[in-house]
Amino acid sequence: MLQYLFAGLALGAIYAIASVALVATYVSSGVFNFALGSMAFTVARFYYFLNTESGWPILPSAVVSLGLFAPALGAVLYWLLFRHLRLRSPLIKVVATIGLSVALPPAVELVFGKLTNVTAPGLAPVPLKVFHPFGAAVNMDQIMTYLGLVVVLVLGIAVLQYTDLGLKVRALVDSEALTSLSGVNPTRVSLGVWAVSTVLTGLAGILLAPTAGLSVEGMTYLMAAAFAAVVAARLNGLATAVAVALAMGVVTTVIQRYLDPESALSAQIVPSIPFAFMLLALLYHAWRRRAGEPPAGGALDRAIRVAGGATGGPAPARRGLADPTLIASGVALLSVAALPLVLPEYWAGLTATGLALAIALLSYTLVTGEGGMIWLCQITFAGMGAVLSAELATYHGWPPLLAVFVGALLIVVVGAVIGLLTIRLGDLYVALVTLTFGLLVQTLLFTRDRFYNFGQGTAMPRPGFAEDTRVFSYLTLGTFLLLALLIVNLRRSTAGMAMRAVRWSEDGARTLGLSVVQMKLLVSALATYTAAVGGGFLAMNSQSSLPDSYNVFSGLVWLAVLVTVGSRSLMAALVAGLSFHLFPGVFQTYLPTGWAEVPVLLFGLGAVMVAKDPDGILAVHARQLRGLLARRGGGLPQPSGRPAQAALASGSPDSAVHQLTGGDR
Amino acid sequence: MSESEERMDCEAREGGAAPLLSVADLQVRYGPAQALFDVSFELAADTTLAVLGANGAGKSTLARALSGLVPPSGGRIRFDGRDITAKAPDVIRRAGLVHLPEGRGVFPALTVQENLRMGLAVDRADRKAALERAFSIFPVLAQRHRQRAGTLSGGEQQMLSLARALMVSPRLVIADELSLGLAPRLVDVVFENLQRAREAGVSVIMIEQFAHRALGFADRCLILQRGVVAWSGPAEAAGDELLHRYLGEGTAA
Repeated sequence: MLQYLFAGLALGAIYAIASVALVATYVSSGVFNFALGSMAFTVARFYYFLNTESGWPILPSAVVSLGLFAPALGAVLYWLLFRHLRLRSPLIKVVATIGLSVALPPAVELVFGKLTNVTAPGLAPVPLKVFHPFGAAVNMDQIMTYLGLVVVLVLGIAVLQYTDLGLKVRALVDSEALTSLSGVNPTRVSLGVWAVSTVLTGLAGILLAPTAGLSVEGMTYLMAAAFAAVVAARLNGLATAVAVALAMGVVTTVIQRYLDPESALSAQIVPSIPFAFMLLALLYHAWRRRAGEPPAGGALDRAIRVAGGATGGPAPARRGLADPTLIASGVALLSVAALPLVLPEYWAGLTATGLALAIALLSYTLVTGEGGMIWLCQITFAGMGAVLSAELATYHGWPPLLAVFVGALLIVVVGAVIGLLTIRLGDLYVALVTLTFGLLVQTLLFTRDRFYNFGQGTAMPRPGFAEDTRVFSYLTLGTFLLLALLIVNLRRSTAGMAMRAVRWSEDGARTLGLSVVQMKLLVSALATYTAAVGGGFLAMNSQSSLPDSYNVFSGLVWLAVLVTVGSRSLMAALVAGLSFHLFPGVFQTYLPTGWAEVPVLLFGLGAVMVAKDPDGILAVHARQLRGLLARRGGGLPQPSGRPAQAALASGSPDSAVHQLTGGDR
Repeated sequence: MSESEERMDCEAREGGAAPLLSVADLQVRYGPAQALFDVSFELAADTTLAVLGANGAGKSTLARALSGLVPPSGGRIRFDGRDITAKAPDVIRRAGLVHLPEGRGVFPALTVQENLRMGLAVDRADRKAALERAFSIFPVLAQRHRQRAGTLSGGEQQMLSLARALMVSPRLVIADELSLGLAPRLVDVVFENLQRAREAGVSVIMIEQFAHRALGFADRCLILQRGVVAWSGPAEAAGDELLHRYLGEGTAA
């Protein structure tokens, strides 16, 4: 028993160090770091490079990777990315850090090479010394993790409580505006916090590597566990986060004592423990009605913030069929429609996959673009749609199309339940709950032998008339257009307007008498349906349900690609779906194999760029196009401060105010 | 813009000394809404300016723009011989301009003592004496120095905010509605201490709801109306009629 406790404390200590890093950056710069796992991997990989590959001794390797490399990494990432995120909308924050988490590992592999063997030494010399206090075995690696946590906590508390630097950090957490009014540069303090927390993240990564392996997957699991601890601590309580992290580690190892290690059940329960913790914590907070997001900064910070920055500008006025955006969409659609005809077999196949993916991506357009909710489990709904429709078609003899469209209806129930459960939660919590749900389904459901079938999944035939890839492509494109038209109609309807009202301001919508619950439920149901249909088409496309391809973290790449292209435009879903499959195809076919990871890197970088242009590249290009046309035609009046100035010059403040209230809205 | 700068320089030469603060054609926008239109004024060293105006006239926005909290969308601000237009708030604070923001200008999660230490983040010299000065001005803060600022009463929080400005020797203090919501006796304390700061050579811009009190205290007066300077002149010239016209009955109390 004691043995399990020691191992559990070691695991918990690593979780605790990671959650301290997560809380520190969240409270000081308002960014919840979804790239924690990738950053831990990066530092641990650098340590491995020095210690194992270059043969440096442990101490200098640790000093260089944790004392120089990690702070530099944190500072650079802060300067390039996190700094710009503070005032962005939650969606942009989530997507930009997800983009980083997607881009970082391939970048690291490009520099240091891909690891085939993921076993890596920690901070203790190998072979590990083993001690036997109270009759239980404790190895040197475990002792290093205890030491690591103790050092982090003692140093952290000492610096935060008793130094000027710590005072400035705590002041910054309280109010950025007041901190700067006190003559302290908040950017510099945040930079320091990011540098230090990257050191902690890296330390957690290095300590985790001996047991979980030096792989992105292992580090991602570390991140999920840290998320659970931080959610339990309501995103800001360091002490609670550390306590929960330790408890989680202990439960994880102690529970294994009572489970048969060979059984499938234990293989499913053990990885689900952090998620169970997170679920319990969320239910508890929701029950206490405390699961809203803590407001960032003080009253002064809110007073000087300009509202609604990232929800986009006013909708452009309708200009009939001559609207350049509409023409561009039409041209794009026609060229996509021509693709299956002109491309050779291999590329036509990729196009079909891209089109099926585009359907699934439409669900993000609905739930995130229209509904303003950050759901990270659309891929899970797609996976469920794929699995269920394959079940219906293969074991119950349903025609494939019927299986897809009716099966998706059953998944809607799941989506609606999630929608209901998360309605009162803050944006970030919604993202975390849906992420957790996805991970749970992935470990508990998709891995069941009946569905998994050694990764093959269940067979899923295409409809008899669409066996041919070209015909199937057109069937998929047709379905995409059908759903897209539905969304367009929805946008124009009263329900669509109500949805937009809810997205802009829930309180405002409520005062108008709109039912926020109804609107959010409608969006979640529609989005779930779309995702499940998309999953069904993906399964028909590959003629098998392939549950492995609906990994939640691939879903993050989906979201990253979609938001990069544009989260509210329907064409963006089409473009994103196609580029997700065609782009890597180009790299695989025409470039050396070493470049295989580059598309992923570029997708990630694209999402990082969203920090600068929240509307996505399609919107940016459309804006540029409209601007160009306006300049050519000398037409559109540009809103500016000119009339107001003129009014002022004539000495009448009243007309200036008229300009202020009437002219600019 | 350059024209007004020339005018400003010209006036400065005529006046003999450069003004401590000169604001020319200042404009501020919050997104699509413009809050200040071409506000211009000057403040000589060692003087006190009362900024008056109804709710939403732009008083607090003016203070925030001067201290760098909100970036101006046009115009120039010079302070103590330096151009501080669109500079970061910490840079402006280090140049000697202290802004006491509206409402509770304290860090609620920090203790009273830590709040005061943050007030000294820039002026490192002789912290001990500065702390003692703060405690001697407001003895109640000494009693509560280990208490979290967020748990103080409203009046105590205002005192703490004011103490953070009075314990150092800035060139200019902008006091935004410092007496808001205070008991009359505490309003007296606020004015007494601002008077003391004035005697020590600190210039003051006070944004006040007690218009008569502010005018009795200040040398000059600036009335804002809907983001525009409606009137400016010597404080003693701002009579009742003027106040009624711009502020309405209630505010001129």
